[in-house]
Amino acid sequence: MSFEKFFKQELTGWMVAEGEHADIVLSTRIRLARNLQDHLFPINASQEDANRVSQALNQAVETMQDHHFTGTTMKDLSPLERQILVEKHLVSPQLINPKKHGSVLLSEDETISIMVNEEDHIRIQCIYPGFQIDQAYEHADQVDSELEVNLNYAFDETFGYLTSCPSNTGTGMRASVMMHLPALTITKQIERIIPAISRLGMVVRGSYGEGSEALGNIYQVSNQITLGKSEEEILKDLGSISKRLIAHEKKSRELLLAKSEVHLENRLFRALGTLTHSRILPSAEAAKCLSDVRLGIDLGIIENIDMNILNELMIFMQPGFLQQYAETELTSDERDILRAQLFRDRLGVVRSATQKKDSDPL
Amino acid sequence: MLCENCKERPATVVFKQETLNDKTERHLCDKCAFYSQTFSFSPDQEPLSIQQFLAHWLGGSELFSEQKADERLPDGPKCPNCDLTFHRFLDIGKFGCATCYVAFSGQLPRLFAKLHNGHTQHRGKIPVSLNERFALKKKLEDIRTKMQQAVENERFEEAATLRDEANQLKQQLSDGGDDQHVI
Repeated sequence: MSFEKFFKQELTGWMVAEGEHADIVLSTRIRLARNLQDHLFPINASQEDANRVSQALNQAVETMQDHHFTGTTMKDLSPLERQILVEKHLVSPQLINPKKHGSVLLSEDETISIMVNEEDHIRIQCIYPGFQIDQAYEHADQVDSELEVNLNYAFDETFGYLTSCPSNTGTGMRASVMMHLPALTITKQIERIIPAISRLGMVVRGSYGEGSEALGNIYQVSNQITLGKSEEEILKDLGSISKRLIAHEKKSRELLLAKSEVHLENRLFRALGTLTHSRILPSAEAAKCLSDVRLGIDLGIIENIDMNILNELMIFMQPGFLQQYAETELTSDERDILRAQLFRDRLGVVRSATQKKDSDPL
Repeated sequence: MLCENCKERPATVVFKQETLNDKTERHLCDKCAFYSQTFSFSPDQEPLSIQQFLAHWLGGSELFSEQKADERLPDGPKCPNCDLTFHRFLDIGKFGCATCYVAFSGQLPRLFAKLHNGHTQHRGKIPVSLNERFALKKKLEDIRTKMQQAVENERFEEAATLRDEANQLKQQLSDGGDDQHVI
């Protein structure tokens, strides 16, 4: 089956605004790192070694009964196509490094991606929309158990799953919850919360993981410890911290609304104005305004905008997708102009439809 | 007391610096103390990468390389499979293969304790194939105990049957990998 379709469907499963606490939690991700016993880890591997691992994986996947995967090597994709996979969060930025021998296997609905020859031989990633920690783990665990039937995993009784980086040794699991926390950011509480969370063996980062900023007030909370705690314990801890953050965010939203409704409304409607009227829209500004409009919808201040359109724009506004949309390479300035046009078109359609509806006589 | 540096804000930090020949003590405000530090640290900066952590916090490469010119410190254990030395591992922060874990097993508990809040022992999922091996090992232990009892009670025929059964299990275990150290 062709890999093309993964570039055509913009809205991937996890981007749909559903699942528990969908107003605050965008997605839940589980990543399991696994290695094969008799092969050098990717950091040491030659092209031939990497091919052997990739072949072993392809064979293992073919025998799976409950899942169907389509695969490709990174080398067979254009730089733009690779970029799009990163923007959809289906592969990590490391996997597309042209010096590496990475490949990926994707499930039909894009819920599961198996990265091959990233930092580890195998990285099983499962993304669900909203807050669905247990469901996402169950799915990833199921794929892991099915793969294991045909693969000889590197495992040790004392150290658990043997990973390339010692920070993943043990369960090899990184569980993360992506959250939109504008009220905690506006009230600056997040600055106090982040260091406190890190003391509990969890880490808070920007939406693209290590090294990225919290663009558009989107944060990723994940476990830091992988050794000495079972998967269930890690998920329970992450779940309880996430729930506390959700509760704090909700409370802060109520307080913001109660104490400065006009100022808040002003800010949120101005953001909507920027998105619907700009002629040049840089990505940082777009992300900031999207965050405000999203908050406006959640609070019932901004009406008649479908959250799914915002989710779609969040993906579409990124450089790879913009260039695919334009069917050509674009400079940074050209992207900012096209981004503005895209927001005007997409949100304008919604608004004109709403206005028409409003003006219809009964 | 006002900050000795800006002379504007109240001094809230006693900033002590010690060199080989000198000791200084200055009373500074939060802001001046922050900017006076000899290494730059911003509260917003990313957490240390694993390489930085291993290299700088566990006495890794820099410490080693400074001394190495004079003393030729050994590189520590070396992985027989991929040739990675422990020194190099601290440098790059990554293992080269599964055998590295065996080669560095003496050093790893200390390192893992630092990385994983004091934990050194896996407590999570075990591959199904390994679970089966655990079950086989347990059964083998039970048979050996029964065999011992049979010999002590001079039930030699029963002991012989148990011995055959044990040998069969041992064969199954060795087919599935090393009986002693499962990796």
